[in-house]
Amino acid sequence: MEKWVAVTGIVLTVSFGWALRDNFDQEWAKYERTYYSLALVRPHTAVWAKSQAVEVKQVLPTQVSTVERCVTCHIAIDDPAFKDGREPLRQHSALLRSHPPEKFGCVICHGGVGRAVTTMEAHGQGEGLSDPLVKGEYIEAACYNCHGSEALPIQATSAVIRGRQLVNRSLCMGCHQIEGAGGQEGPDLTAVGSQRSWLWLYAHIARPESVVVGSTMPVFPFSRDQLKDIVIYLLTLRGGLEQSRPTIAPINSVESNSTGLSGVAAEAGREMTGPGLVTYDGREVFNGAGCTMCHSIGRRGGQVGPALTYIGRKRDAKNLAKLLRDPAEALPGGKMPQLNLTKQQIDALTTYLTTLR
Amino acid sequence: MNQDEPQDPKTSDQIGAFQYLGRMLKGSHEALGAIYRSIFRGPYPWNPRQRLAVIVNNLVLHVHPTRVYRRSISVTPTFGLGLICFYLFVIEWVTGVYLMFYYEPSTTGAYGRILDLDYVVAFGQLMRNLHRWGGEAMVAAVVLHMCRVFYTGAYKPPREFNWILGVMLLFLTLALSFTGYLLPWDQLSFWAVTVGTNIASYAPLVGPKLRYLLLGGNAVGGDALLRFYALHVIAIPCSAALLINYHIWRVIKDGGLAHPQENLAPAEAKAAAVPRAEVVVQTFPTVLYVELAVFLALMAALMAISLLFNAPLEQQANPLQPNNPSKAPWYFLGLQEMVSYSAFWGGVVVPVLLTGFLVALPYVDRTPKGIGVWFARERRSIVVVWTVILLVIVVTTTIGVFCRGPNWKFYWPWQAWPGAPV
Repeated sequence: MEKWVAVTGIVLTVSFGWALRDNFDQEWAKYERTYYSLALVRPHTAVWAKSQAVEVKQVLPTQVSTVERCVTCHIAIDDPAFKDGREPLRQHSALLRSHPPEKFGCVICHGGVGRAVTTMEAHGQGEGLSDPLVKGEYIEAACYNCHGSEALPIQATSAVIRGRQLVNRSLCMGCHQIEGAGGQEGPDLTAVGSQRSWLWLYAHIARPESVVVGSTMPVFPFSRDQLKDIVIYLLTLRGGLEQSRPTIAPINSVESNSTGLSGVAAEAGREMTGPGLVTYDGREVFNGAGCTMCHSIGRRGGQVGPALTYIGRKRDAKNLAKLLRDPAEALPGGKMPQLNLTKQQIDALTTYLTTLR
Repeated sequence: MNQDEPQDPKTSDQIGAFQYLGRMLKGSHEALGAIYRSIFRGPYPWNPRQRLAVIVNNLVLHVHPTRVYRRSISVTPTFGLGLICFYLFVIEWVTGVYLMFYYEPSTTGAYGRILDLDYVVAFGQLMRNLHRWGGEAMVAAVVLHMCRVFYTGAYKPPREFNWILGVMLLFLTLALSFTGYLLPWDQLSFWAVTVGTNIASYAPLVGPKLRYLLLGGNAVGGDALLRFYALHVIAIPCSAALLINYHIWRVIKDGGLAHPQENLAPAEAKAAAVPRAEVVVQTFPTVLYVELAVFLALMAALMAISLLFNAPLEQQANPLQPNNPSKAPWYFLGLQEMVSYSAFWGGVVVPVLLTGFLVALPYVDRTPKGIGVWFARERRSIVVVWTVILLVIVVTTTIGVFCRGPNWKFYWPWQAWPGAPV
């Protein structure tokens, strides 16, 4: 009996020792110590470094209601001596001056988990957490989210614009809604940028089934760059969350343009009625307007809407034209979205469709 | 015999560590000895009479009888499960208070506080792990304790009412664990509680009202969080503490552990207060030492688990994005599995029948046979009934925990789910 008690007593003591060590041996302390020891050898920082304690450093940004501890490890973001330093001891780009962490924090642009102080968790790689650090060009979405399109230099919003064009051209809104416009088949994307991470969106659009079980979304043949642009655009859709944006003065004192419906619709209109597209081949319109996402002809096409292989036997040109002009009126309660086709496009489509017998 | 000296070398009841303490108190450490006497109302007990006194004269220790059968402190009659339940309750209380220092029961603050506990609070992660795993272990230990009491027939007269107290404590334990489940306010907890309270709403007539009462609304939200918090930190633990006292007090009043009666001579059974030395040990020091040993072993195991495995935490709760699959806490997954076959049978009939069975059991099965014996032959039919019920619960729970994937489809544990999150 006493031997047994002695053994468990030893196990318990070792466990407590382990817990104690875990508590005092912290990853961030290593970076801070390195930083201070480097500061100690520089004459003009030596005195300052001596007075600094190795501790968790946190920022309570005045414009965002969070606590962020990124600067615990990234302690050299404002130190020019670490211009070419290795992460996390590296100076931030010049953008830091206009975006002080005390005001905006870090997460608003970089993503990640601001409260965490271990690399894994802070960078959103912890188990069960998926707020991944925003990498590379995806940060552009964050610029756009605060500043809007007009206030930013054109090259800083090009990806958002390209992404929006791709979304319109691919007729995503045949199935998805954005701010009230679009189909009911897929989830509403109005606020998707605040609900999903860039990693999730990328993986989902590239291979819908890999992320959402039983997803009926088709696989689009996007290139990597196109995927990136679409994801960046989607990240700027934060419907209803504008209030949580920090208050900032417009950079060029130009009112930022709304990303809302008007912009999207105008874009779609331009696509559809561009000067180069006056005459149409019905088959091209069919394939180009995204009809194949939902409808199939022969073996090709989606399963969401009815197959159109023999549609010419069922409906005549007049009937089809009416349906294409205003699906909601012709098929009340149906899922077919309003595609805003021009008269010429409708004519070409009906001509093509009536040949399917 | 000198009353102040170690004696009785032939009995094995001497505990070296305790004797060392006794000598220390007596010898050069007069001041220590004085403090000891002020607490225990007498000198270190060297002789049997003083050993009775030290138990009787102490508020905490006097829940023990002064002497117990040697069989009571051996492993197989109980596996120490009741004691383990009690210790886990104490550990939950202590670690829970630590977590309360940092926690904030609001939908905007809760999740951040949990992240802070995990990431920056000193020993925060350890305390959360201890609390989490301790709570899950308590559910398991209470169920095992109940099975032990059933299989040894220890609910039979005169212990019927203590069985009922035990059933109440089982429900309080489940309620404690369930209310605590919501508090991290992450996706896991939010959807588990949504599913759990949906099961409750299947009850006829009162179901939806019960759910409304529990959640303070029609869906899990800020009011539900506040309500679960109040229940979790005050209402249920205090009720449980009172009931545990009552439960333990009744153990002694009902004659201690249930022992097989044929092992005792008739005369002895009558005069159990003065049992023979071979079958009886004194509570001081032997029983106390065994209890200490169980505590050390339990604490060591819990510490090791808490250091090796972190309590789960997913993303912050998002009412717009259901987890797929959304699973209730594991001890309700048997029910959820049955609900997936039939909401009425799984959500209403089975829970009502089970509760009715547990409550009625000691009043229906009153034959004084097989008390204190594991799987007694005389009780074969009822043992089979219990075992079948237990198996059904274990199997459905196992399927629910390990074999249910997205859309509640069946997957073997080694099969990958489609759409594993990126």
